[in-house]
Amino acid sequence: MELNPMEQFTVKPLVPLHLAGYDVSFTNQSLLMVTVVAAAAAFLTFAVKPGRLVPTRGQSMAEASYEFVANMIHSSTGEDGLKFFPFVFSLFMFVLLANFFGMVPWSFTITSQIAVTFALACLVVLTVIVVGFAKHGIGFLKLFVPHAPAPLLLLLVPIEVISFLTRPISLSVRLFANMLAGHTMLAVFGGFVVALGAAGGALSLLSIAPMLLIVAIMLLELLVAFLQAYVFAILTCIYLNEALHLHDAH
Amino acid sequence: MQEDVHTTESTEAPEHKGGFPPFDLTTFPSQIFWLVITFAFLFVVLWRVAGPRINGVITARRGKIHGDIEEAQKARADAEAAGVAYQSALTAARARANGLAEENRQTLNAEIAKAKTSADAETAKVMDAAHARIAATQEQARGHVAKAAEEAAIAIVARLTGETVSPADAAKAVRES
Repeated sequence: MELNPMEQFTVKPLVPLHLAGYDVSFTNQSLLMVTVVAAAAAFLTFAVKPGRLVPTRGQSMAEASYEFVANMIHSSTGEDGLKFFPFVFSLFMFVLLANFFGMVPWSFTITSQIAVTFALACLVVLTVIVVGFAKHGIGFLKLFVPHAPAPLLLLLVPIEVISFLTRPISLSVRLFANMLAGHTMLAVFGGFVVALGAAGGALSLLSIAPMLLIVAIMLLELLVAFLQAYVFAILTCIYLNEALHLHDAH
Repeated sequence: MQEDVHTTESTEAPEHKGGFPPFDLTTFPSQIFWLVITFAFLFVVLWRVAGPRINGVITARRGKIHGDIEEAQKARADAEAAGVAYQSALTAARARANGLAEENRQTLNAEIAKAKTSADAETAKVMDAAHARIAATQEQARGHVAKAAEEAAIAIVARLTGETVSPADAAKAVRES
């Protein structure tokens, strides 16, 4: 019996693989990534049939997720942000399904790994930097100079720089910590159920309490799973908006 | 964290030091490697296949709804135009019918007037002829009466006096009486 709530976050190699001196084994996490990506790609491709104007249930869901992300980009970055739609859509679907698939018992939560969330956050910030310099050249640095009296700038510019540099950390840790905390909590309460059940007698009956709590936390975690995917995507949009429009109102 | 439980468990990963799996640096290359592969695949599929497919359906539906509304508006305009045309045709037909009726009445009135005039003329002619006949008959009758009076006068004179009066004298006497 495994009672360590952290055990579920262990990346276990399934097929050992080495490439250029690095251990790139196919792990339980890789399996989930492949599953998530295959599910997302297959669903968004095959649920929709070209020319079927009256959608089925599946097609409605695919269209709803498409329009949800499209509206998100449109409202936070404006018309010209829509060229980043494939990027934001992929991020949103990847994080959302990674979070949801992690809710399935005995699966693995991809987004509970700081390596993954940090890599995604770095991808976002690098995109923002590339887009910013491509659009504004060196003028992109004005992003760090808010409209304020000169003496205040001495204080504000370092703050802006630091806040920009910490974005990959805040973006990745937010998602990672939320997933980690939720799943740890579920495992801890699961451990209570097992421990109380094994204690025998009246204590066994008490094990229903943490069980009910797990159900409640499970529902909360479903909300968090969606919310964190949404937050990740909307922050990406907001950062892209800054890269596209600097501090101007769009 | 129950590290002791974990370290006794993890025989396949002896490099685990802190026992906190997400910070196990040895797994990072594999995580990043597979993340790049899978995310790139998802990105390309959504960018090249799924996105255009969904967008196509949404655009087609929007176009269809637009087209249908336009068609319906055109049909309504047509119907309204047909109604207007019907009304104007009705008005024109009514005006024509009124014209025809008026014309008919005038023709009839003229014919009636003509017929009346000719009938009046006929009547006057007949009446004149009748008057003439009456006058002639009267004259004739007057002649007969005078003759009878002459004969009667001759007879009376003859009876009273035994004289024979010539008809001319008798006629003269009747005329003077």
